[in-house]
Parts: sequence; C-alpha cells; structure tokens
Amino acid sequence: MPVKNDFDVIIIGGGITGAGTARDCAMRGLKVLLIERHDIATGATGRNHGLLHSGARYAVKDSESAEECIRENKILRSIASNCVEDTGGLFITLPEDEDAGFGLDYQKTFIEACQKAGIDAKAISPSEAREMEPSVNPSLIGAVVVPDGSVDPFRLCSANVTDAAMHGAKVLVYTQFLDFIREGDTILGVKVLDTRTGQEAEYRAPVTVNAAGIWGHGVAEKAGVHIGMYPAKGALLVFGHRVNNVVINRCRKSADGDILVPGDSVTVIGTTSTKVPFEECDNMEVTPEEVSLLLREGCALCPALASTRILRAYAGVRPLVADDSDPTGRSISRGIVCLDHESRDGVKGLVSITGGKLMTYRLMAELATDAVCRKLGVNQVCTTAETPLPGSVDGRIETVSKRFEGKVSLGQKGAAGRQGDLVGKINFTTAEDKKLVCECENVTLAEIKYAVAELGVRTLEDLRRRTRVGMGTCQGTLCIRKAAKALAIALGDPSLEGKLAADYLDERWKGMRAVGWGDTLREMEFMQRVYKFQKPYSYDEI
Amino acid sequence: MRFDVVIIGGGLAGMTAATELQRSGLRCAVVAEGLSLNNVSRKEFKAAGGTLLQGDKVTGGVIKDGRLLCVNTQKLGDVVLEADSFILATGKYFSRGLVADMDKVYEPLFGLDVDYDPDRSTWFDRSFAAPQKFLEFGVNTQDGAALKDGEPIVNLYPVGEVLKGISSAGSDASRAILDSAEAAVQAIKGRN
Repeated sequence: MPVKNDFDVIIIGGGITGAGTARDCAMRGLKVLLIERHDIATGATGRNHGLLHSGARYAVKDSESAEECIRENKILRSIASNCVEDTGGLFITLPEDEDAGFGLDYQKTFIEACQKAGIDAKAISPSEAREMEPSVNPSLIGAVVVPDGSVDPFRLCSANVTDAAMHGAKVLVYTQFLDFIREGDTILGVKVLDTRTGQEAEYRAPVTVNAAGIWGHGVAEKAGVHIGMYPAKGALLVFGHRVNNVVINRCRKSADGDILVPGDSVTVIGTTSTKVPFEECDNMEVTPEEVSLLLREGCALCPALASTRILRAYAGVRPLVADDSDPTGRSISRGIVCLDHESRDGVKGLVSITGGKLMTYRLMAELATDAVCRKLGVNQVCTTAETPLPGSVDGRIETVSKRFEGKVSLGQKGAAGRQGDLVGKINFTTAEDKKLVCECENVTLAEIKYAVAELGVRTLEDLRRRTRVGMGTCQGTLCIRKAAKALAIALGDPSLEGKLAADYLDERWKGMRAVGWGDTLREMEFMQRVYKFQKPYSYDEI
Repeated sequence: MRFDVVIIGGGLAGMTAATELQRSGLRCAVVAEGLSLNNVSRKEFKAAGGTLLQGDKVTGGVIKDGRLLCVNTQKLGDVVLEADSFILATGKYFSRGLVADMDKVYEPLFGLDVDYDPDRSTWFDRSFAAPQKFLEFGVNTQDGAALKDGEPIVNLYPVGEVLKGISSAGSDASRAILDSAEAAVQAIKGRN
C-alpha cells in the first residue's frame, strides 16, 4: 500500500464546495489533493435548480443569507461569466396568495427587506410583468423584479476543478474515502479506494477538509465526531423546452415548487423539501406525489407547463445542519457551517465545511480555506472573489469567436458558450471535428475529444456534466449512440461503446420513469425503438 | 362517403391489410396521419385502386348496437366515412393509438377496453435494456373484434401495435404485426 505525504491539505468531496475549496487553497499556494468518489458535481451540486439567487427568497426571514446571496451573485457574474445567464427574476403575487395573507401588503414588506439586504428589488405592474415574461400566470396581481439569474452548476464546478488543477492541485475522481489515518487525537490523512481499479492507497496531509455534502455526516463519524446533519430531499422536474426566459418565483413564504428557472434549452421547476433517511441519499427516486405537487405549483407560476412535455424528474439532498425543533426543514437557515474539529471536538487536523448553498460556495470555500491556513500557519489572503475562473477571463462570445477561422459553426458557438475562453484549446481543424454529435446542445466531436483530454471525462455522464451532451429536448435519444462511439474512441477503447451507452440510458431512464405518462411516455417508447439493444452496436458512421 | 373497409392508420399493419383487401376486390380507404415512413406501401395501395386520405386524422365515430357505423376525420368535417368493416391500426403511444395519463391508459378514438396495469410502479423496468411492461399494454379483443365495456364491436378489428402484447419497441415484432393484419383480412373477407 503506497504511502504519500506530500500534500498540505486533502479535500474530501468533488462537489462545488470541495472544488471551490481546492481552488482557493491552491491559489493560496497550498499543495492540494481533492478526492471524489464518483465524478465532480454528482451530489447536490448537480441536482438543484441552477438558480443564481438574488437572495430575495431569503430577504424576509433570513437577512444574513440574503446578504450573502446578493454579494456572491455579483461576484459570480464577474468571475464565472460563462456559467451564468442574466435572465432576471420575478416574484409574483397571485390572488390566492392574498387569501393566504401574502398579498400586496406582504409584497411591501418583501421589497423593503430586499432593499435592506442590498438587493435591487422593484415593484412593477401585472401588465409590465406579462410583457417582461409572457408565460407568467396572467391572473397575477403584483410582481417584483429582482436580479435572479441561472447558473450551470456542472460548468461552475468544472471550472473550479480546472483552476485548482492549473494551480497545482491533484484531483482524483472515482476515488472513494474509506477512513482516516489517525494517531491519537490527530488526523494524519486518508485511506482511499480507486473505485475503477479496486486499488487502495493512503495520502497524508496535516489538514483534511470534509466537504462531502450530506455524505459529510458519515465522513465525520469516521473521525469520531458528530455533525447533526439533516438530509432534506428536494425533487425537481425538467420541461421539454425553455418555457420562460425570466426566473419566476412566488412572493410568499417559501414553499414547495415555487421557483421556475430557465436554463440553456430547458426549464426547471422545484423544489420539494422532505426529510429522508441517510440510506436513501445515494439513490433518490422522485415519487408520484412529488411530481403532482410540482406540476400543480408550476402551473400556478406558468400555466403553459400543463401542456409541456416533462423531460425527466430528479432529486438532490441539501446538506442542512439539523435543528431538531423543526420537522419540515424549511425553517432551518441555509447558513454556512464551518467547523474546526480541534476546538469543537478535540480532533486535530480536520475541518468540516457544510450547510450553505450553491450560491455561497465561494464564500464557504473562503471560510474553509481560512481555517486551513490558520491551522497551517499560512498567511495568504483570499483572491477568489476577484480572479475570474478559467473560461470567464474574457468569455464574451464575440471575443471567443475571434479565435475561430472562417465562419463560426453552431458547434463552435455552443462550445464557446460552455467552455468560455478555454474554447481556444478545442481543435476544430477537420470537418469531422466540427460534426455535431448532440444536436440539442450543439456538442461536436472536437469538444468531446477536448473533454476527455483536458476535463477528466470517463463516462457519458461525466461528459454530460462538462458539455451538456444529451441534456436537451431529446434526452439523448438521438445522440447517445454517436456520443458513446465518439467517447469510446477518444478514450482509446472502442469496445467500451455499448457499456457507455447502456449506463447512460439507465440514468436517463431513471429520470423518465418518474414522469412516465403523456408525451414523456411517447418519448420513452421512441427511445426504446431507437435503442433496440442489438449488442454489440452495429453502426459504422458517426 | 361509403367504402367496404375503412382503415384507420397508415403504418405497417394498416397498409398491409388495406392493400390485400383492396386487391381482393373490396373498396378500401386508408386514413394515414403523420410520418410518411410507408411511402412504398402507400404507393402500392393506390396502384391497387385504394383511396388514401393522406395527412388526415380520424377524430371519432358513431357506435350503435355493437357496430361502428362511421368515422369522422379532421379534414372532411361533416362528411363521414361509412363502411361495413373498420380496421384500427393506430399503433401505440408514440402515434397516439394509446394515450397514457398519470393513472390510466386509454384508447382515445372509441374508448375501447385497454389491458393495462393500474399500478404505475409496474410499468417500467429499472434497466432500460430489460423488457418494459408498458409496451405490452393495448386494446382487448374477442375473436379479433375490439371490446368496449366488455362487449364486442363486431366490425372493428384492431391490428398491429395498438393490440395488447404486441410492440416492436425493444423487440422484433414485425411477424406478430403482420399476423394480426392477416387475421383481420381473413375475418373481413369471410364477412363479405
């Protein structure tokens, strides 16, 4: 068993918090190891709305979270421009909200609270709201404009991992944390398992950061410390096209299914909030009750959803820190929890960073890195709020497009939007490279080759998280054979093709099964027809 | 308009039955909605003298005393298509021969009896590659005639994938599809 001791800090968890922490630590000059048991962004990071919160949602009840949100909102717009879309947001008041005590009086309270938190919130008339967002429920009686947006969490996480690596961090995906290496009351490092080779290894560092989201509960237990975590499942539905162009929220006390977010080519409604047992966190299935509830609430925001095909359902688990007094999970602050287990529990060399939300990942990373630096006696300030992420240094399409010779193709535009200024690394020289593999999201063979070479892609799911391949309206029905073949060739083992496609289809199937009726069922029948599972796949041409 | 046989649906099953019946001397009309994947068979049918209502769609019909008397189409408006026999070849979900709601599966044109499992959790296998139960659902028949509320509509013959137990998705069912078309052809020839 190899023993290595050449890191300053080991970070457990390749979600947005771990990725952000790895970036921050690496930028402050630390030698970083990031381990992740699956791929990056596989937990809650990739299973949420993709909402760039303005903070307005929290303004009335939790001004601290609201202030954090708007600060980070502004920071992300400048450091992660290629991950963010400035859609704007609306908080609408419906007639039934008035009856429930959240009428226009509440709207006043809401606007005041927003302004107090530094959120630019402005009331507009119902007709102005309908002009701004024609899909909004026409029976609305009031609306407030806020600086909401949408964010691609996969891309954001990937950009953080890429930047950490560019600053010297070692990133090991498909590497599972098994246990701590411990001497007395000091954590010396971690024992890990490479889940693809089955090989175990040990890595040592004076500080380890537990950034494993809801799974951080189990990680902490291995160190003999207890974090009272509260796994709050949130279910969401993806619709078959971009129904709205502006984020639509309900102007009332936060409840289930009251945020509708447009993201790339689709629209997402969510979410629910139910406490689930820890055992369920690894395999979330969306229930028929959750689907009904989300549809009902979604249609209240945007009636067109009733006649829009649902692409799929998915669910994530919020890593909230438990407060046993509230059984619903809604009243718990989304506040950040950074624990130094030396002062808290007498266990040296371990920091846990949890709670929080996607929006505040950078701040969480800053707090965790501050704690790491204190322990290491390193005196370096955080620069992540001012330093653009790779892809966003100058990610404007016009600038990026100048890097291409001749006419810019759809695939090049798609790649430029996703990879930002890193698009220069993608080799579009041959006509073959420019061929579209995924026509919903305009993903080319060239971008797939780049993702394998530079972004650590090994499966189609990994590829999806980096390029959005198969995430559009056809859910991979028309492109996964091509993508599987292209990926298998890029990985240097064409025989992987069938397995890559089968694994991906099972994952898509899971999301579709939960909403398998109506037009979704039609798509499912079509998908079965396209993939008749004659093994091995017999097609020669991409 | 009056025909000997009206065939609803211009896919593999519908066109196969229609062409054979037309060639046997019966006057047939096919209402063929949507994709023209069957151009070759449609040409053959027309060459045999059949009437093709391309791009039209049956919207409903009149059922009386266990018989389908006539059907309406989107384009013909008040003009109905009457026939001695009808073939229902509308396929499964994708072609909307069957419609699935959150809690039921139904046949949208005539409200025929559909064999399906009301427990939606059984419809799908977790593995995409495994056989899927929802693909087995379809219209119930008795001696080849469609059932509605347990009673046969004696001159309405479902063929192809709208039938229970037949699906070409995930398996090669063209034999079963053609067999069901042939059975309907023989039954209709027997009646005339």
